[in-house]
Amino acid sequence: MHECENPLWPCAMTGAAACLAGFDGITVVIHGSSGCYYYPSTLLHAPLHGTFILENEVIFGSEQRLHEVLDGLAGYGKKIAVVMTCVPAILGEDIRSMLRDYNVILVDSPGFSGDVETGYKKALSVLAPSVDPDTPGINIDGACLFDPFSGGNVREIIRLLVNTSVPVGTIFCSDRLEKVGHAAAYTMGTNGDFSSGVGEWLGGTLGFEEIKATLNRVASVFSEADPGPVYEEIEREDERIVRACDKFLCRFDPPHTVIFGGFSYAAFAARTLKHYLDADIQCIGSRNDPGTTTSSAVHVQGLSQVKELIRHYNPDLVIGSSFERSVDPKRGFIGLTPPLRGTVKLAPHPLAGISGTLSFVEDVLNACMDRRK
Amino acid sequence: MTLNPLPLNLSRFGGCTLTGALSVTTQVRDAITIVHGPKGCTHHNFSLLHATGLDNDRIILSDLISTGLLESDIIFGGEGALKRTIDAAANRQTSAIFVLSTCIVDMIGDDVAAVCHGNHGIPVIPVPTAGFLGGTFQNGVNNALTAIADTTKPCTTGSYVNIIGEKNLEYEVEENYAEVSRLLEALGIPVNLRFLRDCSTGDISRLGAARLNILRDVELLAVGERLRQRFDTPFIPSFPVGLEGTIRFIESVADGFGVKCLQAVREERALQDELLTEFEDITGTSITFDPAGMASATFPVAREVAEQIDIAIDGDGCTVPLQLSPPVGTNGIRHMLHRWRRAIHA
Repeated sequence: MHECENPLWPCAMTGAAACLAGFDGITVVIHGSSGCYYYPSTLLHAPLHGTFILENEVIFGSEQRLHEVLDGLAGYGKKIAVVMTCVPAILGEDIRSMLRDYNVILVDSPGFSGDVETGYKKALSVLAPSVDPDTPGINIDGACLFDPFSGGNVREIIRLLVNTSVPVGTIFCSDRLEKVGHAAAYTMGTNGDFSSGVGEWLGGTLGFEEIKATLNRVASVFSEADPGPVYEEIEREDERIVRACDKFLCRFDPPHTVIFGGFSYAAFAARTLKHYLDADIQCIGSRNDPGTTTSSAVHVQGLSQVKELIRHYNPDLVIGSSFERSVDPKRGFIGLTPPLRGTVKLAPHPLAGISGTLSFVEDVLNACMDRRK
Repeated sequence: MTLNPLPLNLSRFGGCTLTGALSVTTQVRDAITIVHGPKGCTHHNFSLLHATGLDNDRIILSDLISTGLLESDIIFGGEGALKRTIDAAANRQTSAIFVLSTCIVDMIGDDVAAVCHGNHGIPVIPVPTAGFLGGTFQNGVNNALTAIADTTKPCTTGSYVNIIGEKNLEYEVEENYAEVSRLLEALGIPVNLRFLRDCSTGDISRLGAARLNILRDVELLAVGERLRQRFDTPFIPSFPVGLEGTIRFIESVADGFGVKCLQAVREERALQDELLTEFEDITGTSITFDPAGMASATFPVAREVAEQIDIAIDGDGCTVPLQLSPPVGTNGIRHMLHRWRRAIHA
């Protein structure tokens, strides 16, 4: 039985659109109805196009309509990527044959084929990323438009690489399309839930320990790399965080916390809160399959599970999406997971890198102190 | 790059029937809505409803259950999944279950109405939706309102109005309701039921008690007619739109109740004069609208207001924003003029 009460995570079609729309040089066309188009267009804040098919195209075939849209978009010098939605996927039309005269990418990731990560990976595989031995530097991956921290993460990791004197390779998936086939030989990550699998993995950037371990590996493969300035910055900022958290603990108990999110971010949040605030991580409710962690973790797909975990643990602090915030608005809350509705977000806040940890701990301390006022 | 530069048939942009119907059924607090289709369709709509609720300062987590169709259900049929989901929902404390379907379900030919039929202990109400195969967003709204209205019985009428078919996903939905309420209060006429916004199944049983129905706009004419046939309730086809339109609205409502409206009209005209004086500083300027605005139903109101405060509309004027739905009442025009002034002074 697959029924699900208030599903919390988007479908594969949205994931595919999130991957493709991140590349400058791709025009994304959602092949389906207006309903399928509107959701990713409001969530991703990226230019998307749609075929907006109607009933007569279901009955008589969608070829003419698809050609009409592609002809309208051709001539702008961009590669067109067609993302299949549920209905066209089961119409039985030979879409590849329909598109044979067009220079387009076809991504078959209808909503029923899985969750957002499934579609993201499928779309990236269709782009066929490859390593170019002549491309210097390190790729950055995990930059998915679906992730509200994606833009901030990319800026922050570029800053760290510049300070380490290492060039930036390809950013997956937020770069020029032509760089997909010319990736560097090494990769470091931001959000592990959207890893690219391209190049040799050097490590992630969520939390100071992870950044240091990754930069150690960077230094071992790049003789010209100088992670010294970043290490010094970490040491300096770590002291600031410790000071702020110790001050908090002089007055308050550590927060009892339940964390909801993609596993990669949720595990980072748990590690960071334990490390700096001796927090009690009561449970991680992971939106995707939970990996290995010292905290208790379960896969949470629907709102009823969220309500049950919050009711059961009665946490001081809830970390998650605006769904979780709405379950009990009186609790302390930090936004970590999309959707983050009901707030205006303009600045590119990171979660990865040094600034990401600073920003996260700052939010936690302020939320915990606000709650006690 | 614009989001959709292609000049296509406008019906393509009519939205999803499912979303339209959900914008209605999720307003019934003590009911559950089942969405028969893949999980993603329910998530998309849940997220959208959640976002618009927060925009209106309402923390809403609608009770939506997806049948969670997978590829295997698409191949072998999803009626079994729907039946199991209805049975599970009926065992919970709920007053009614609405069953909505998605385009993929229409494609595979599941007989949703047949599965809903039968004794579940509570009303199980199928609402005709099938994503884009069911029509447009507005069709979904109308179908849901009609399906729910058909479950109610005639009752004794009183001196009230019903508000029919508010746009629940509209950002200014509460402000628009407040404006209509203000005009009704000036006539001493209370609202019986907002059909359908934030109510219970018990509230809905009062649907037939109003002497007059006020439709949100003319897209709901079919619903208005259905209610007239069922309860013999006449209707006004739209919320008040425009300066003169607002005066006509007051007169129409008063006429429907046989009450005098001279004082209410005098006060409203005074308010409108005050409003126009407030914006004298943009008198004599020139404005224009983007193509979407020119084609919208708001344009006639914009033209009327521009004439009243001596603003020229010409292609070389300052481009000012126009919302797709006309502003409601005199205070809606005030909001529109603030946006114009911001653009003119920018």
